Amino acid sequence: MAREKSKRLDIMIRGVWTENPVTFQVLGICSALAVTVKMSTALVMAVALTVVTAFSGLIISSLRKQIPSNIRIIVELAVIASLVIITDEVLKAFFYDISKQLSIFVGLIITNCIVLGRAETFALANKPMDSFVDGIANGIGYGLLLVFVAFIRELLGSGNIFGFSVIPGFMTASGYQNMGLMVLAPGAFFIIGLLVWLKNSLSGVSHETRS
Amino acid sequence: MSENKSETKAEAKAKTKPDKNSRKNVIRFALIVSFVCSLLVSVAASGLKDRQDVNIALDRRVNLLRAANLVEPGKKPPGEVINTLYAAHIEDTIVDANGKILDPDDQGASGAMHVYLYKKGDKIEGYILPFNSRGLWGKIQGYLAFKDDGETVSGFSVYSHSETPGLGGEIESAWFQKNFKGKKIVNSQNEFVSVGIAKGKVENLPESKKENYVDGISGATLTGQYLAEGIKSTLIKYEAVSINFRHGGLIPKDVTQKDMTGENAEPRTPAPGAGVDKNQK
Repeated sequence: MAREKSKRLDIMIRGVWTENPVTFQVLGICSALAVTVKMSTALVMAVALTVVTAFSGLIISSLRKQIPSNIRIIVELAVIASLVIITDEVLKAFFYDISKQLSIFVGLIITNCIVLGRAETFALANKPMDSFVDGIANGIGYGLLLVFVAFIRELLGSGNIFGFSVIPGFMTASGYQNMGLMVLAPGAFFIIGLLVWLKNSLSGVSHETRS
Repeated sequence: MSENKSETKAEAKAKTKPDKNSRKNVIRFALIVSFVCSLLVSVAASGLKDRQDVNIALDRRVNLLRAANLVEPGKKPPGEVINTLYAAHIEDTIVDANGKILDPDDQGASGAMHVYLYKKGDKIEGYILPFNSRGLWGKIQGYLAFKDDGETVSGFSVYSHSETPGLGGEIESAWFQKNFKGKKIVNSQNEFVSVGIAKGKVENLPESKKENYVDGISGATLTGQYLAEGIKSTLIKYEAVSINFRHGGLIPKDVTQKDMTGENAEPRTPAPGAGVDKNQK
């Protein structure tokens, strides 16, 4: 039991930090560019992705002994797509305003490489509960990065945090201007690039052997 | 080929369990997965449909009320409040191309258009036009409200769009929607010009244009451009309604064609595209 626990903890740490899906595996970049203009959309996207990755991991892992290997990717996609559609329908029925805000991004979870990547590399080779934890860990890892990038972009790009204006009036009066680049996709590229560099240059984290 | 077959057979025999990669099993598995998935998806879609429809209807109503300034932009009161406000102040009417009110049964009549009247008690305070514009990624649908003078915009709201959040999606934000309040759709010479969306701030525009433009969204020039075009074409379509309001109100449904040939007829029936062509350039 204790071993089980420490194994799950290890999966958790790997997903959130050491093998963070965005900075280490460099997956899910496209959606990280799209939803990080505002913190609120980034947060909801992170939660939705965590739910989908966790449950697709759970389902695919419990089917892993039955899934024929030559159609496994199609089966994984069918499971993921159904989960995403159900999530979307539930959001529309119970959290209509949030689902309106996310609009097309919920559908885009299907194409998020993290979901398929975790299903393919982890869920097919591990036990259902471990895969579930792995999905949550990767979702959190992705979400943390998303919220961090969104924080910088929203602050510099529109002068807001969670939609509330934080730039004091005297600064705008004395010529402060929002950074237009941060609102556009290239702004996210710069930030994510810098973050990947920062994380990989921290000692003991880099996966490249140093000479 | 035959060698292959015998090999798989041998393999299958060697294992105690049936081979999960045999052709039969692949087809069986694919069928089961697709059946279960489609069952779940259709149960979710049809089971939640009623709730979703309620949400969609409520969302349209709250946006109508936002355009009419009965609800603050960006705020959403509970459902009952919305429905009471809607019932008390909004009247859904159908008009023909000349701005004449039609019977509700004439929905299908050619050229019939929806106009929402904003009432306080029995007095008509203004009117709200639904618009359906092109956007950068998809349709933008919403409402544009006017005062009863037929030229002053009193509100703007959007209930459906697929623009990028943070960029074109800002058309949903309170500052952009408040922007429209008090703008005119006619210029100082009383010619129709519609409401435009400026590139940048209105304060940088020449004095004569300030009344007809709203602040644009930085990073969303195209959304603004398409939305302005959509608003303009909606206003051209509804020009008769606005002209009628400028001359005192809509033509009630009991007025027949005959009555209109009197003195009133001249200003009330607009020449097709009157006041529009001049400003097309």
